[in-house]
Amino acid sequence: MTLQECYAAMGADYDEVLGRLRSERLVQKFVLKFPADGSYDLLCRSMEDHDDAEAFRASHTIKGMCQNLSFTKLGQSSHELTEALRNGRTPAADGLFAQVQADYKETVDAISAFQASLG
Amino acid sequence: MEEKKTNRQKILVVDDSEMNRSILDDMLGDDYDIIEAENGLEAVSIMQKRGTEIDLMLLDIVMPRMDGFEVLAVMNQNHWIEDTPVIMISAESGSTQVERAYDLGVTDFIMRPFDALIVRRRVVNTLLLYAKQRRLVSMVEEQIYEKERRSGLMIDILSHIVEFRNGESGLHILHVRTLTEFLLRLLQQKTDKYHLTGSDVSRISTGSALHDIGKIAIDEHILNKPGKLTDEEFAIMKTHAMVGARMLEELPMHQDDPLVKTAYEICRWHHERFDGRGYPDGLKGDDIPISAQVVALADVYDALTSPRVYKAPIEHEVAVQMILDGKCGIFNPLLMECLAESADKIRTELAGGTVGRETHRQIQAVADESLHSSISNRTLRLLDYEREKYNFFASLTDEIQYEYTVSPPMITLSANGAKKLGLDEIIMDPKNDKRLQALLSRETWMKLSDRLRGTTPDQPEMSMEFLVNVDGVPRWHRIISRAIWSGDDPPKYEGALGKVIDVHDDRTKIKELEHKASSDPMTGLLNRASAKERIEERMADRPESHYALGLFDLDFFKSANDRLGHQFGDEVLKTVAQRLSHSIRGTDISCRAGGDEFMLFLEYKTDIEKTIDRIFHTLCGDFEGFQISVTMGVALVEDTGLSYEAMFHAADQALYAAKGMGRGRYLFYDESMKGMLSALSEIDSDAAAR
Repeated sequence: MTLQECYAAMGADYDEVLGRLRSERLVQKFVLKFPADGSYDLLCRSMEDHDDAEAFRASHTIKGMCQNLSFTKLGQSSHELTEALRNGRTPAADGLFAQVQADYKETVDAISAFQASLG
Repeated sequence: MEEKKTNRQKILVVDDSEMNRSILDDMLGDDYDIIEAENGLEAVSIMQKRGTEIDLMLLDIVMPRMDGFEVLAVMNQNHWIEDTPVIMISAESGSTQVERAYDLGVTDFIMRPFDALIVRRRVVNTLLLYAKQRRLVSMVEEQIYEKERRSGLMIDILSHIVEFRNGESGLHILHVRTLTEFLLRLLQQKTDKYHLTGSDVSRISTGSALHDIGKIAIDEHILNKPGKLTDEEFAIMKTHAMVGARMLEELPMHQDDPLVKTAYEICRWHHERFDGRGYPDGLKGDDIPISAQVVALADVYDALTSPRVYKAPIEHEVAVQMILDGKCGIFNPLLMECLAESADKIRTELAGGTVGRETHRQIQAVADESLHSSISNRTLRLLDYEREKYNFFASLTDEIQYEYTVSPPMITLSANGAKKLGLDEIIMDPKNDKRLQALLSRETWMKLSDRLRGTTPDQPEMSMEFLVNVDGVPRWHRIISRAIWSGDDPPKYEGALGKVIDVHDDRTKIKELEHKASSDPMTGLLNRASAKERIEERMADRPESHYALGLFDLDFFKSANDRLGHQFGDEVLKTVAQRLSHSIRGTDISCRAGGDEFMLFLEYKTDIEKTIDRIFHTLCGDFEGFQISVTMGVALVEDTGLSYEAMFHAADQALYAAKGMGRGRYLFYDESMKGMLSALSEIDSDAAAR
């Protein structure tokens, strides 16, 4: 699996990220780092605990990383969740969180597959 | 992350996402040192510690603990934002957010997702912009120095024109200036009378270059006449002082400039003499401004030692002697002292090229000073912070902290110190301050001043105790102080700082302890050792007086003790002690010599026998059914000689003799008792047992 195929698998924009970061090596480095970031765990925990402020920040951080890496799909859902949490939790938040969970899984799965193919 | 020590510019990256920080690190790490902070609070603490070291901050908005806007608020509060540019980074794109960030002073805004090129470009731009601003500041400063330098140059040119017309050597102005400065510095060391500051010295020396500008209006034939001037010509010549002064007075601008004022004094009065026999106004003594007095002396010296159309140069030694002898008019005696003491140095000063060096050093000092004052207001704020810290700690202690400067004469007290003493925090002219005078006697003030001036730059500390009238009641205080000496050679006393502590209670306690140590705890009378000390002091003070020393013990005391108990015995001893102290004068000395032995020491004029008889009978008498009875031996100084030991020994022998004759009596020592046994052995063994 190439990095480009990995991007395609998770619904992300490879051309855009390469245009910005200008180095495949860099893109790969950060993509491989993504699953290790603790923000997603934090998001899940704070959603469970109803800590809305913390959930907002975690979601916001995920959105930022996705923007930097051009993870379009997860970026979009985490953006929507962020907005649904910005001024306290709206009724839509739970549904959006489910979407983020699905997109996150898809993203991380694609990265795992890519990593496996690197050997 | 690990941080390398380099001279590269430092960028503080503040972002809660490790990945975002590491992307930025990758983009910028090749060219800059990156310091990371993972939330606002950490960023603020790094700024606090590293301060201006940080050349640029990249700041995220949404972060835990303290967000980006809060960081900006802190940076504004502390004015850090003026020295450290901030580029805000965020996924936030709401225009209100952007606006708010700009309002809080961010230099630029970078939207996520990052574009490596854009990030790098903006960082470079921002750093360049700030560097340019810093350079501009220093360029402005340089221009100011340039202007200063040029005005000095203009003065030199102008005065040289005058010299040129005078046909004087071009060095006259330079010599007068050097000499003026040199004499002023000597004068500064010699006396505080004229309150000369460093800037006074430099202003007067600069102004001295203008002393003869009035000569521009004098006819060239008179100026350069080789022979002696006629009375009429001399009268015209004399007008140059007034003319020069008027030229300055009529300057259309700069009337309030201190340099113009000083130059005016110098032009008008540099031909006045201390005895009032100069011109044009015939001023006397210190009615002549010190600037003009010094320039007058410098002018005369250089005129004597330089060649003129009308005379040959005179040797240095001869010139100095002529001035000291009053051949060129009378000058201020203090200036004469300066001249006499430093005549040799003056010659080398004028011969060597020290002039340029001196000026250069001054320029350097001015440059350093203004550079430091304008490069960073941050420094001032740090000082403010230190001051605040100091004030806070000062407010926590009971000490009175103070600073004193000689010039201007001023004392600054810590806030609670001032409150404690009922003074203002700032006291101008403290020597003549009424409220301070009420607190400190003149002697105390002088003593303090002497002690401080008596210190040296190597050992500037001193401490002493003195009385302060707190609310009209004198209380002992201790001052611990450090004198401030200037870096001049020789160093000058510039003031002092330190603290004053109320030690009255401690001192009183020590006095009490001293008393306790010197007295017998049961009867409150002195013990034998301290009685001996006081007796010997008394003898040394007034060796001509008549003294009597009595020793007595209680009769049958042992049996009273045995029969009636020790407690009763103690009461008997206390009663005897009381009767004893009541029967003698305050100036007499009484003591419990040990056990039931007592001693008294009297100074008398006439009839000692009557006195002893009275005391003896006061001591005896009933105490709660017990008949107190004593036996006493008395020695007089005329029989023994002026010696405590001899008197004690004689009284002891008399006591022994009295006991031999039957108790309950007193006996004066006489020659017949010489060689008798001693009653003392009991006392000594008793004392030794205690």
